[in-house]
Amino acid sequence: MNVQPAANKAFSRRGFLGLTAAAASVPLLAACGGGSASQGGGGAGGTVKFWDMPWGTPAYNDAAKKITEGFSGSSSKASYQIIQWNNFYQTFSSAIASKTGPAVSTGGGFQAFQFEQQGQIAYADKVIDALKKNGQFDDFLPGVLDPFKTDKGYVAVPWQLDMRPLWYRKSLFDKAGAEVPTDWPSLLEAGKKLKGIGAVGFATGSGAGNFIGNHLMIMMMINNGGGVWTKDGQLDVMNDRNVEATEFMLELVSNGVVDPAAVSYTTDNLDAQWKKGGKAAFGMYVTGLPQRVGDTSGDLLVASPLAGPHGDKAALAFPNNIMMYKNTPSQEASEAFLVYYMGQLKSLWQQKLMNALPVFKSITELPEFTSDPNNVKIVKEYQPIAKTFAAQGAALNANMAVLDGGQALNQFTQTILTGKTDAKSALTAFQTGLQSVIKK
Amino acid sequence: MSSTTAQSGLARARRGLAPGGSGGGTLNRKSKLSGQTRRTFFWLLLPSIVLLILINGYPLIYAGVQATHDGSLIDTGNFVGFDNFATVLTAPAFWKAAQFTLWFTIVGVFGSWLVGLGLALLLRTKIPAGGTFKVLLLLPWVVPIVVSSTAWNWLVATPDSLIPSIFRNLGLGTPLFLADPHLAAVMVMIFKVWVSFPFMMMMISAALASVDTTVYEAASMDGASKWQQFTQITLPMIARSTYISWILMTIFCVNDFPTIYLLTGGGPVDATTSLVVLAYRSVFQDFQTGTGVAIAFLMTLTLVIVSVFLYRQIRKSSVE
Repeated sequence: MNVQPAANKAFSRRGFLGLTAAAASVPLLAACGGGSASQGGGGAGGTVKFWDMPWGTPAYNDAAKKITEGFSGSSSKASYQIIQWNNFYQTFSSAIASKTGPAVSTGGGFQAFQFEQQGQIAYADKVIDALKKNGQFDDFLPGVLDPFKTDKGYVAVPWQLDMRPLWYRKSLFDKAGAEVPTDWPSLLEAGKKLKGIGAVGFATGSGAGNFIGNHLMIMMMINNGGGVWTKDGQLDVMNDRNVEATEFMLELVSNGVVDPAAVSYTTDNLDAQWKKGGKAAFGMYVTGLPQRVGDTSGDLLVASPLAGPHGDKAALAFPNNIMMYKNTPSQEASEAFLVYYMGQLKSLWQQKLMNALPVFKSITELPEFTSDPNNVKIVKEYQPIAKTFAAQGAALNANMAVLDGGQALNQFTQTILTGKTDAKSALTAFQTGLQSVIKK
Repeated sequence: MSSTTAQSGLARARRGLAPGGSGGGTLNRKSKLSGQTRRTFFWLLLPSIVLLILINGYPLIYAGVQATHDGSLIDTGNFVGFDNFATVLTAPAFWKAAQFTLWFTIVGVFGSWLVGLGLALLLRTKIPAGGTFKVLLLLPWVVPIVVSSTAWNWLVATPDSLIPSIFRNLGLGTPLFLADPHLAAVMVMIFKVWVSFPFMMMMISAALASVDTTVYEAASMDGASKWQQFTQITLPMIARSTYISWILMTIFCVNDFPTIYLLTGGGPVDATTSLVVLAYRSVFQDFQTGTGVAIAFLMTLTLVIVSVFLYRQIRKSSVE
């Protein structure tokens, strides 16, 4: 039998334990150290991490990546990463919490305000100053920049407008012998005629992951001069204009103008309704609908905004934006990158990669943009009367995110679309739901 | 062997002692080695314990912190004690979701078990191409839930989908399977049974394979009917596997997010909102991290209680 000396035995056991402990702590140390290392490299200014969403086809992201990688500021460069929409808020939050997030990003419409509330956003006032100097500031379409101005500074810079125009399928109106609606009574009238041929007079949906129904409810309130907030940002769900708009929606539902199964329609279901041979004849949807459903025959057209019963006209828009974060290798590099990126936006519309509207007048005048009459109509008739979720006010804030994606609005929409309620009860539940989750 | 000797032997066997071996000697050896050996064991176990704490303990502690604060995913926020739990437990939405979760779990567990049991028994008989059927029957479990939920959506979502069209052609009206709150709840449960029965079928098939067929032959010779053979032989013989599969399926059902969320999103009007969907919505749609995590804690507590109960049933069935 071999007998090891006691000291040797002790050494090997301790050595083994020490090695094991060291190996076990590697992931912990790696996790702790990841944040600071991630933003380094790329020269004195470092690499500006730009995170972007899939705003269009993969070709869009390829083009955006090319633009990003073309940036070369003073001793800094930029990297590009696509972030999927699924659980995007979780992705951003986790990354920001672990200091591995982006320096600059696109994202959800109200994301900048959410992260501003948590002290993570770098204000964009210097970017705005630079845009003033290079002339791009004066190129902004009217009103698109104002929602991002807060007491502390510009929270983000808008780069595209996600408008919610009204669309109609001409052939179905011809078949039903109906006129394209111009106001609420004519919408109801046309809807009844369209129902007669098996078509849907006000197409929408609020099934899993589909927010179009939610947007429609708010759009109808805004279209009637109402909205969920007062001018100074206080909750104002129960105002008369909202009650009137909700009552009208219930009237459309009870008359079968809205599809009885709309409450469960996903975006795929809704797209199928808008495709050639589908049932959707009229309704609010996103810009670029013909391209989205693959029907560019000219049968799908933008209708003029409806006039409410009091003569009000308003449309709903989401000004999508680019934000900067405090966790950056260099704030100057982030600002330089954002100014550079804003200057390159034109090429995305020139290549017809964007469905949303541009925020710059010069881009709306490009031949590639004006060649689509639907685009021209949206810019001409919808953009000037567009309001955001902040209506009746104008300034956005973090509560808009709770309104947009939250349970209160979704439940309100689904209650209306099932038709088993009255306007005041539904609005009261909506208000109570919102009150329980918004930050005072 | 006398009965006393047999009982003593059984007791010794349960303690892991060989016949004729000395229990006292083992204990003496244990106490003799306790000083040095225990220290060695401790140091050898320490890395694993640290890893376990990091993997399980840290998230649990962090979740506990979030459940008692009013912060977000980034900022912990202010300490609010058990306010989040109080908010959750007094909210009608929580109890509605709890009720749906209960029904979803009951139907999911027993529905899939019944279908799985029936098919496992069927596949045990000599049917042509039994192996092929077994593979085909596994597909609902194997296919990604995103794919199967999309397929089910297209089958039932619109009045012109296949299933509503069949109902209409049979003169049964046009049911709105996902738009009607009651039908949507039923559809989600059916979908869950469809997704889960292959798992049950495999568990039961494995248990049935270990049952000696001569037991049935003996029972037949004793005059037992097929039903008696099923209730007196088959069910007791697969009881252990059954309880294990019930525990697992209960956990699968209570924690099931994609089946519900992809098909209905929890709607219409919260008709299919389970506790896990409610927790998700609270955290990621309403940005109420504290209440969302509090819901998850309450779910975990319930699952532990149910699992312990079923685990005791397993031990009971083993002893019997």
